[in-house]
Amino acid sequence: MEIKIGLELHCQLTGLQSKLFCPCRCDYRGMSPNTNICPICSGLPGTLPLLNQRAVDYAGMISIALGCKIPSAVVFYRKNYFYPDLPKNFQITQYNAYGFTSIGVEGKVDYGVKSSTIKRVQLEEDPGRLVYGNSNLDTLIDYNRAGVSLVEIVTEPDFSEPKDVRIFLNKIISIIEHLGVCDTRLDGSVRCDANVSLEGGNRVEIKNVGSFRDVKKALRYEITRQKTMSVRDIEIKSETRHWDDARSITKQSRKKEEEEDYRYFPEPDIPTIVLGDDYISSLKTKMPELPHERKTRFLRVYGLSDHVAQVLIDNKELADFFESTVKIYPSSPNEIANLIISDLLGLIDDSKKEQRSIFSGLRIDAKHIAELVRMIDQNVINRNIAKMILSQITKTGEMPSYALDKMNASVIDSKDVISETIESIFKSETSAVKDAKQNPNAANFLLGKVMQLTGGRADPKIALKLIKIKLAVLE
Amino acid sequence: MVSKDEIKHLGWLSRLELTDKDLDRYVSQIDEIIRYFDKLDTVSLVGNEPASSMKKVSELRKDDIHMFEGDPLEFFKNRKDGFVKGPKMV
Amino acid sequence: MENNLYHLNAEQVASGIKNRDFSAVEYISQILERIEKIDVKINAFVTVDNEGAIEKARSLDKRIQHGESIGGLGGVAIGVKDNICTKNLKTTCASRMLEEYIPPYDATVIKKLKENDAIIVGKLNLDEFAMGSTTEFSRFGPTRNPWNINYVAGGSSGGSAASVAALECAISLGSDTGGSVRCPASFCSVVGLKPTYGCVSRYGLISYSNSLEQIGTVGRTVTDVMLIMNAIAGEDANDQTTRTTVPGTKTTSRGQTPKYSLQNKRNIRVGLVKELVEGADPLISKCIHSAMDLLVGSDCKCEETSLKSVQYALASYYTIAMAEATSNLSRYDNIRYGFDSNPEEYEWNTYFTKVRSNFGEEVKRRIIIGSYVLSAGYYGKYYLRAQKAREMIKREIKSLFEKYDVLISPTMPILPFKFGEKIDDPLKMYQIDIDTVVANLAGIPAISIPVGFNDGLPIGLQIMANQMGEQTLFDVASSFESTIDIHGSPKI
Repeated sequence: MEIKIGLELHCQLTGLQSKLFCPCRCDYRGMSPNTNICPICSGLPGTLPLLNQRAVDYAGMISIALGCKIPSAVVFYRKNYFYPDLPKNFQITQYNAYGFTSIGVEGKVDYGVKSSTIKRVQLEEDPGRLVYGNSNLDTLIDYNRAGVSLVEIVTEPDFSEPKDVRIFLNKIISIIEHLGVCDTRLDGSVRCDANVSLEGGNRVEIKNVGSFRDVKKALRYEITRQKTMSVRDIEIKSETRHWDDARSITKQSRKKEEEEDYRYFPEPDIPTIVLGDDYISSLKTKMPELPHERKTRFLRVYGLSDHVAQVLIDNKELADFFESTVKIYPSSPNEIANLIISDLLGLIDDSKKEQRSIFSGLRIDAKHIAELVRMIDQNVINRNIAKMILSQITKTGEMPSYALDKMNASVIDSKDVISETIESIFKSETSAVKDAKQNPNAANFLLGKVMQLTGGRADPKIALKLIKIKLAVLE
Repeated sequence: MVSKDEIKHLGWLSRLELTDKDLDRYVSQIDEIIRYFDKLDTVSLVGNEPASSMKKVSELRKDDIHMFEGDPLEFFKNRKDGFVKGPKMV
Repeated sequence: MENNLYHLNAEQVASGIKNRDFSAVEYISQILERIEKIDVKINAFVTVDNEGAIEKARSLDKRIQHGESIGGLGGVAIGVKDNICTKNLKTTCASRMLEEYIPPYDATVIKKLKENDAIIVGKLNLDEFAMGSTTEFSRFGPTRNPWNINYVAGGSSGGSAASVAALECAISLGSDTGGSVRCPASFCSVVGLKPTYGCVSRYGLISYSNSLEQIGTVGRTVTDVMLIMNAIAGEDANDQTTRTTVPGTKTTSRGQTPKYSLQNKRNIRVGLVKELVEGADPLISKCIHSAMDLLVGSDCKCEETSLKSVQYALASYYTIAMAEATSNLSRYDNIRYGFDSNPEEYEWNTYFTKVRSNFGEEVKRRIIIGSYVLSAGYYGKYYLRAQKAREMIKREIKSLFEKYDVLISPTMPILPFKFGEKIDDPLKMYQIDIDTVVANLAGIPAISIPVGFNDGLPIGLQIMANQMGEQTLFDVASSFESTIDIHGSPKI
């Protein structure tokens, strides 16, 4: 059965200082209710919207990064409806029904081997927030968030599987993070609604999906629900459903959205914004490096493999960390990349993945890795020891050389470490090994070498035992 | 001919309470006015005039923070713990 | 000391106070006494700020005594239409929906007036939310025409014109969306200006129709009106639709306040819009023609001209105005501001529809029609075509200004009428705006000056100039004003 999924993302432009139409703070998180407002964003009579220059820049960059066509001039529209979180009871947004005037249309985003068509990108304002205290009595409203800049990204319904949606979302996040327009880890900074239909049937909109993880869950649930109904010959109504996270279901929305006639018309208080080729070129030069551009550069400049480069750029933080490290120690980018991907990533607590930084709780930074790789290159340590040191210093924050010294001072009783040391001695002291095979007492020479190599720290009893075992095996 | 149902629906869209008496009164008045607007039927939709208000991006407001000087809570007449108090949702 | 200082016009007051011929307190006291005495008869004021005005006057006098320099409008009594926000002074729009509203900020024009040391004596009556042509739709009762109190003062800025005519203040601010400053100016025999769209900041003007309205000025002379414009005109960062240049023309001074002065204009080419003259009451047409006979001479040529697209003007105007109005008035839900009422236990939509029933009839009508013309099925038929008609009118006006310096017409097609005459027939009421809406649609400046009387009822002459042509307007209007020479105040 053919499944069609389309997405509607709302991304706050947290990279801005002020709101979209007034100079209040964009970053409202943690502020007491109704302390981050002014006459404009609280919808007081007589006020006029004052469009933020940089918001247009950021929205333009997003459009370019998503491969969209950009119009020669941009117009804002009013979407009229009544709701408690709307200070003016209309939202200033963009609309393309009467001509192409939103900041971007007809784009394309590749994700893996597939791609999705971006229907439109538009700039609009966020409403306030509702708090349901005693919901039998009243609703409480906080306008701190009202007027924050949002970019809405709408795709064509060209996804057929929830897992593709997940891959696509990761790609979008990576692009947005690289542009620096939104900190996607901030609570509520990116929201995703979806619409689902089966085989040319009616479209169901799913709203109120909290996190991206939930998107996949919600989609799976809804697809199952629709398939079940279809099998039983029950008609699937065109409607809006809300994702209920607690019960993991979609349920019918009480708000009759389909009856609303939004009576869109151009916002008279905001002039037509003329863009032009010069402006768009200047945006392109201002734009930070996009993920695919960065990957190409990683392949070219650092000689990384495709797979390794991809893993790094899929998470901007990793890519940034990699480059900071290479800056300190430029000789071995491949070694650095591998250390990060094979070893460091493994140390990251999975639960931290969705937090502010994936490195939360790890007490190291680029200089630690740089030194560690330098030590490997200089043969001071081998990769196994490096791994051990890494796991230790992420907890202590010590520099690797310091940690090594400490290790060197303590007795080595690890069979693995000693075996390794023995291994390398057997390779280098081939004549001594031959001697020892004939004459067991010559094993002491080898022991001496082990002690030398481990700075006298190896446990001699264990070392000797292992040497003897190894000699016996050799033939 | 503008119908009573249409006006009732428009009243709802605009959140205006309209009694039957109101509807009766409005129907003929509004119909007459809309019929007058039908003059516009002979206006051609072809052709585009430049917008009356145009600005370049560089002429827009700079992205600086400037907080309102004064207590914003004074804006509102119905308050509860710093929030604005409104009627309940369903 | 004279005790009729209230007769003085703004220019005279400003120089009198500056030269210490009389003090601000003396002048303002007389003004307030005058208001106290006669406003019961005409009901021009919604709020009179006795304390605030006297205090301002006192502090101004002190500054003068200390030899400090004062602003160009120092001490001049000004009234402000009650849809313009004045900080800490109640602003009601003559509506229950803003009954208790006290703005926390000043409109830009108010800020500028204060910077120029003008003294705001009170807030003036209007049709509710500026929707009307007679001030009969005010919650506070209509404003009466000072020339004959049985007749309407015009609207929606009835209070602005009546107060100036009745010598309750020297100058006033109104707002003009489709003629709301010029109409009452004409009916009350004073001078009323609607500036070029974008010339004066709308920040603080409570919106009725954003793409059509401008704050306008009323005075007893063209010079007075020009003086206020010098104080309030100019680009404003708080209103992105303001500008000092016209799109498509060479950039002149960006971001500066225009400064007007009276210049002797020579070789004036006047175009008389025949459709508007012919459409007026014959008594009015006759008056206009007589005036032109006086004015035409070696320096002024007048010829009849045609504005064909005027046939669409009213339909275009009302479609656009009502569409914008329906949206602008959505914010009045009595949750944050309005009148006293407890929202607890009500369901949201029920509460909204209930409180919004407190809008007046005319406002409700316009809200409904506005929603109609914007609704999904009708947007293309009405709103889009109205905008196209508007563009057509703009184009035609632009071409006319290649031939003429100014265009003239009667300000109103009819004489002032008695209360209640048109109030039951909305369409008839709308049709009296035919002469004035053109200027709003085209965004051009227009001024009304007194041109005569008929049976004691005032007639106004409307003069229109090209965009940003206020200087031309002042020059021509002032020249006409001195030739036509109408003076005298109503006996109240």
